[in-house]
Amino acid sequence: MTDVPFPEVSQRDPDAEGVLATWFVADGERVAEGDLLAEVAVDKVAMEILSPAAGVIHLLATEGDVVRQGVAVARLS
Amino acid sequence: MTSTDTSSPAPSAAPSQRKLSTAKAMVEAVAAEMARDPNVFVMGEDIGAYGGIFSSTTGLLDTFGPERVMDTPISETAFIGAAVGAAVEGLRPVVELMFVDFFGVCMDQIYNHMAKIHFESGGNVTVPMVLTTAVGGGYSDGAQHSQCLWGTFAHLPGMKVVVPSNPHDAKGLMTAAIRDDNPVVYMFHKGLLGLPWMARNPRAVGPVPEEDYEVPIGRADIVRPGRDVSVVTLSLSVHHALDVADELSGHGVECEVVDLRALVPLDTDTILESVGRTGRLLVVDEDYLSFGLSGEVIARVVERDPGLLHAPARRVAVPDVPIPYARSLEYAVLPTRSRIRDAVLELVDA
Repeated sequence: MTDVPFPEVSQRDPDAEGVLATWFVADGERVAEGDLLAEVAVDKVAMEILSPAAGVIHLLATEGDVVRQGVAVARLS
Repeated sequence: MTSTDTSSPAPSAAPSQRKLSTAKAMVEAVAAEMARDPNVFVMGEDIGAYGGIFSSTTGLLDTFGPERVMDTPISETAFIGAAVGAAVEGLRPVVELMFVDFFGVCMDQIYNHMAKIHFESGGNVTVPMVLTTAVGGGYSDGAQHSQCLWGTFAHLPGMKVVVPSNPHDAKGLMTAAIRDDNPVVYMFHKGLLGLPWMARNPRAVGPVPEEDYEVPIGRADIVRPGRDVSVVTLSLSVHHALDVADELSGHGVECEVVDLRALVPLDTDTILESVGRTGRLLVVDEDYLSFGLSGEVIARVVERDPGLLHAPARRVAVPDVPIPYARSLEYAVLPTRSRIRDAVLELVDA
C-alpha cells in the first residue's frame, strides 16, 4: 500500500491548500510508476501528480476538492 | 515510430486507455516531433519558461533547451516574420500567436508572406510552419481576447486551418500540421484545453494514444450519428452540440453531429453525405455570423444539390457584434446549448 499525497505547495505554511483539479485515471485502474495521475491547482499554478509506484489506484478525493498539502488523495495497492 | 517521452514500464494487466488534457496532448505531439526532427523548433511569447499562458508548451524548454524553445519579445510581426524566414530556409517552426485577436499587428507576415510565398515562387519554395493560436470566449475576457476568427484565416488562400475539439484530435492534428509542407494555422479553444483555472469541460480530458499518429487535415468526423438533423460544427461548440443531442435523443430527435476539425480544406463530401441522410442542416459556429464559415457550409450544400434540404438551413453563430465582457451579455451572443436546442427544434418542426 502506497499513499499518494497532495504535493507540497508551500514550505512556509504547513496548512497550505490547493484544489484537486483533474483526475487522469479512474478508480480501480491499474497504473505504472511515473504515470500521470492528476493535476492540482494552487491559485493559477498547476502541478502534476505522478504515480510513485505501480499498482491499482483507489481515489480518496474527487475533482474540485480543496486538499491540504501532504494529505493522501489516493492509495495504491 | 514511437518517440513519446514516457519511460515508465508498461503495466502487466490489460492497458487502460491513457487520458490527457487537450493542452498536454498538444505538448506531447510537439515534443515527439521535436525529438524526431531536429528542424522543428518553437517560438512565441511566454512559451519557454512560463510554458505558454494556456499550457500549450509546458515542459518543452526543459527538454529541448533555449535554442529550440525561444521566448520572443512582444512583437508579433518580428517573430512571425522570423518564423517565415526560418521555414523558407528549411526549418519547421511552430510559432504561437498568443491570442488570435492579436493577428492585426502581424497580418502582413501571415497572409502576404506565410500564405503566399509558395504561390509566388511558382511552387519552388515551401513554408512548412505551424502558426498556433488560442481562440474562443466564454470566460469574460472581453472583445479583444475572445474571438474565434477562423473564418478570417480560412478566407485567405494559402493556409490550411485546423481546429481540434478534443485531446485525441489535438495531438493528431498537431503532428499532421508539423509534418505538412504547407503553412498550417492551428487554432485551439481555451475552453477545451483542460486547464485547472478555466471553466471545466469534462471532454477536455480524454484518451490519447501514446504512440504518434496523424489526424488527416481536411477530414471531418461524425462524432455522433443521427437521422433527423445534421449539426455541422467545430471546436467547443461540438461539445455543446453533443450535449443537446444527448438531451433531445430522449425526446425522439436524433441529431447527427459533424465535427469539421478543419476549415481548409473543408470536408464538403462528409457534410453532403450527412445532409443527404438527414435533410436538415444546422451550422453552429462560435465565429461571427456574416461572411463566414456558417454561410460557406450552407453554400457548399446548396451549390452541389439544393434538393438535399427538406427545410431551410439554419445557423447559430455570434451575431455581428463584438464579444461583450459582461458574463450575461457574453452568453447572450455565444452559441449556447439553449440556442442550439431551439434551432434544432425549429428545424424538425419545419
